[in-house]
Amino acid sequence: MISTRTIRNLKNELSRSFLAKLGLILVGGAIFVAVLAPLLAPHDPTQQMLQVRNQPPVFLGGTWEYPLGTDALGRDMLSRVIYGARTSLLVGVVASGFGALVGIGIGIISGYYRGWIDDVAMRSVDVSLAIPGLVLALTIFSIIGPIAINIPDPIVALGFAQEMPDSFTFPGTVAFVIGVIAVRQFARLARGEALSVREEEYVKSSEAAGASNIRVMFIHVLPNTMTPLLVFWTLRLAHAILTESTLSFLGFSGTTLSWGYDISAGRDYLGTAWWIASVPGVAILFAVIGVNLLGDWLRDALDPGLQEGYE
Amino acid sequence: MTHNDASTTSVQRSAGTDNEPDFGPNTLLKVRNLSTRFFTDEGQVNAVESLDFEVKEGEVFGIVGESGSGKSVTGLSILDLIESPGRITDGEIWFRNRSLADEFNEQQSQAVRDEFVNLLELPESVHRSLRGNSFSMIFQDPMSSFDPTSTVGEQIAEAVEVQQRTSSNPRSARSRTQGYGFKSMVLGSILPSKSFVTEPSMERAIELLELVGIPDPKKRAQEYPHQFSGGMLQRAMIAQALAGEPDLLIADEPTTALDVTIQAQILSLLSDIQEERGMSVILITHNLGVVARVADRLGVMYAGEIAERGTLKEIFENHTHPYTAGLLGSIPEIDEAERLRPIPGNVPSLLDHEMGDRCYFADRCPKAMEECMEKPPEYEINDDHRVRCYLANREFDEDRSIRDHFDGEGGEPS
Amino acid sequence: MSLLKFTIKRTIHGIVVAWAALTIIFALRFISPVDIASALIPPDVPPTARESLIEDLGLDQPWYVQYLRYIGGVVQGDLGYSYVSRISVNQLAINRLPATLELAVAATLVSVVLSIPLGVISATNRHQVPDYLASFFALLGISTPNFWLGIMLVLLVSVMLGWFPTSGREFGFYEAMRLLILDGNRYGIIQWLYHITLPAITLGTYYVALLTRLTRSEMLDQLSEEYVRVLRAKGLPETLVTFKHVLRNSLIPVVTVLGLQFGSFINGAVVVEVVFRWPGMGEFLIRAIRTVDWPVIQGTLIIIAITWVTINFGVDILYTIIDPRVTLEGESE
Ligand SMILES: Nc1ncnc2c1ncn2[C@@H]1O[C@H](COP(=O)(O)OP(=O)(O)O)[C@@H](O)[C@H]1O
Ligand code: SF4
Ligand SMILES: [Mg+2]
Repeated sequence: MISTRTIRNLKNELSRSFLAKLGLILVGGAIFVAVLAPLLAPHDPTQQMLQVRNQPPVFLGGTWEYPLGTDALGRDMLSRVIYGARTSLLVGVVASGFGALVGIGIGIISGYYRGWIDDVAMRSVDVSLAIPGLVLALTIFSIIGPIAINIPDPIVALGFAQEMPDSFTFPGTVAFVIGVIAVRQFARLARGEALSVREEEYVKSSEAAGASNIRVMFIHVLPNTMTPLLVFWTLRLAHAILTESTLSFLGFSGTTLSWGYDISAGRDYLGTAWWIASVPGVAILFAVIGVNLLGDWLRDALDPGLQEGYE
Repeated sequence: MTHNDASTTSVQRSAGTDNEPDFGPNTLLKVRNLSTRFFTDEGQVNAVESLDFEVKEGEVFGIVGESGSGKSVTGLSILDLIESPGRITDGEIWFRNRSLADEFNEQQSQAVRDEFVNLLELPESVHRSLRGNSFSMIFQDPMSSFDPTSTVGEQIAEAVEVQQRTSSNPRSARSRTQGYGFKSMVLGSILPSKSFVTEPSMERAIELLELVGIPDPKKRAQEYPHQFSGGMLQRAMIAQALAGEPDLLIADEPTTALDVTIQAQILSLLSDIQEERGMSVILITHNLGVVARVADRLGVMYAGEIAERGTLKEIFENHTHPYTAGLLGSIPEIDEAERLRPIPGNVPSLLDHEMGDRCYFADRCPKAMEECMEKPPEYEINDDHRVRCYLANREFDEDRSIRDHFDGEGGEPS
Repeated sequence: MSLLKFTIKRTIHGIVVAWAALTIIFALRFISPVDIASALIPPDVPPTARESLIEDLGLDQPWYVQYLRYIGGVVQGDLGYSYVSRISVNQLAINRLPATLELAVAATLVSVVLSIPLGVISATNRHQVPDYLASFFALLGISTPNFWLGIMLVLLVSVMLGWFPTSGREFGFYEAMRLLILDGNRYGIIQWLYHITLPAITLGTYYVALLTRLTRSEMLDQLSEEYVRVLRAKGLPETLVTFKHVLRNSLIPVVTVLGLQFGSFINGAVVVEVVFRWPGMGEFLIRAIRTVDWPVIQGTLIIIAITWVTINFGVDILYTIIDPRVTLEGESE
């Protein structure tokens, strides 16, 4: 599925494009921070220290003890930003991955079999598209209610980091609803791709040679729809990260360790401690820019049809 | 290697600018030493290289060659329509235009000789202001040559309008956009707009449509390009090109995209109009059968150069260049559906670093000889016939054949 | 297909979409683990009062009765009563809708007025400084969370500079205009502008980014079309080539995207209304979701679904105007 040519194209584009490198650095950095959060965070991000409330960051006259200052409950902003990366990335990857898996499955089956399966699936997608993604997510959220899953933190459990939260809260409902709204777009896109691939000669000839439908779908249709879907997945990943922060900003979450939550908490202190709302936003911005640049890189390297050429 | 025969003389034409151009009494256009290159990621493409040719008043000059030989780029260069990453890097394009010659005689005398101006030395805006009224161009695919969202009549009327504005005020770029202000810009980009085009221009557009044989022109003028057939749209494009009554019409493969039966109609329309108006035409095609019908003189193009040139009769009956022979061997009858039978071998790469300094045709030439590893000069066979091939003054000699070197894959000599 | 037939077809389509969306929501509500009664009624309410409240709200009825009652009401144009405030949802919607519409129109204006010139400048100065700048801002625009942008604008422009208010909406456009026209009093309209500026910019920004990118890439596509060369060959000045032909053709997909992006527009409006405490449908919806006020949620969803269908209808009609190749014919399946 990943040919040497693909890898060569990726490398060429990476060495040529500054923005692709920047994207890789930003995303790589975010993953690094998210994975090693307990080792990198200077404080327990949930520990409240009322005597150091609303401390300014070091560049505004604060101390190195709290490099990015503290929030209204005296929690260290840097540690919260570091842990927030976990929530953002994990929800982003799980939600867009879920959306991709289910959506691509539905789309390929629809596009490949057509007939009533296709009708039912696509009509449902059409109907659901009349409800905007965020609104649908909120509605489903209110139906399910918040579900938070506690995952033990292996780094803390193995004793590599002390005085850090020993488990990490994964906001399950948030990931699920973001995944659900992504299913619709993936299903549409995958169906379109499957429809065009199934008309190709090699698919027809392997059908003629008696290959089973499932086999044809997985051996021929799926790999050939991969490139546009992969590019689209990066877009959805960026979107999922933004939606996660939006949902937790609006107060629909299962965790308080989230960039969006901190921004919402910092809103009330714009006049006195503006960094509380500002700092997490910069983190979101960097993460999303990184993912978008990564998507541009994949698109330019893998889908030459989308590049500007001559003649 | 210098064989020289008494009957032919080698003409060295690719000389520099110190070499003065000489114009015949009825020359309209004289292209000298023209080079147009594209600077692409793969490298420099020499699409047109040191090209020389001349078009006389009232004649049809055919440019023939396989696809990729630089014919379109030649035409586009004359109209200054080459876009990035391409650029005209060298050469002169002399065009007969007395009023421009008078106007620029003082300020830019190096760009003026007698009644001729060198378009490449005039300011770009002046060169461009000649589009439509001095020379105009029609293209291969009429279906993609019209804006799909404006009516055919309006697009032709636009051409009329812009030419009228230019002729009443030739040098002012401003007059050409007058009446097309901010409001039109905003509205025109959303709604179908009639701004800019006036009633008389529209009437003239309908006349032009009638002239090129479109039935019920008044009604057809209100229709959109997609409502036309290919042949009708090609007629409309000719009408549009005639709007400014140009002295020179460049027709780039005007029949290639059309059905065979329509091809003949369009060709006879073109030659009728040409005769009626006494205008000059450069007819670009890859099909010798097409030029055979209408051209007076021909240039056979290969790899950005003219390989052989002469009157129609000379080229058809007395050709010397093996490439010309190859093209002639592959003419389909114009009314046959059959496509051009290609000459064996690959169309040459025009990438500068792959071109080498030999006869560009050598790797495909059945008669390539040792001397062909050096670039042949242009030989004059007679007043009406010149060729860039050693066979102009010698017979093919089996002993010196280097055909074997080129057999196999690469095309590079081993 | 005649316009009338097309309209009828689309209306039916719209009704089906709204009904299907509503039914799905209704069904989910009944399989939801969240108990509406206990979410609505505080635990300290005595059991008898509790019973009568549940009865009042109709929550004691089996699901199909609730469903049919509700559908019956909707057919007659009655969206029911809020569980929380007991006010009719129709009334609430009428109070709230103008604020959202004003915001939507203002934001669309902001985004169109900024993005199309930016896209044109980018495309016609390809690979030059203005193009890179525009691309950079477009990237920033699509990567910035809307709510955070709003808060940052409040921080910079309202809190630090004090130019605009941080939140609220003193005057509706209608009242403001009435004041202006009947009394010649400009206070209302100034207040209106004063309050809507920041929300409109915030909501518009995402679309500025999106539309700038789209306009740029469509313009580049169009500029490489054969007809552009022909326009130049006939001597048409570059201004006309760009605006009369290339831009017009480029805007066709832009219109589609504006229509298709209506969903994200509503998403954006919800967030922006919350950030600026703008009393529109979005803020209203969030409040209803927090309080599990189902009639309000359902009513809002119906209104959104109908608006969505209407906008798509409008886009299709607009299409036949700007692109002569498209006819309503193509709509028939
Ligand atoms: N926009 C362009 N960019 C790069 N190369 C080009 C471009 N246009 C033409 N060329 C090159 O110039 C050569 C001549 O092209 P053209 O004049 O179109 O050939 P013809 O009209 O004879 O078929 C081709 O080999 C092509 O590769
Ligand atoms: S110069 Fe030599 S290689 Fe070239 S065309 Fe003539 S004979 Fe062939
Ligand atoms: Mg050509």
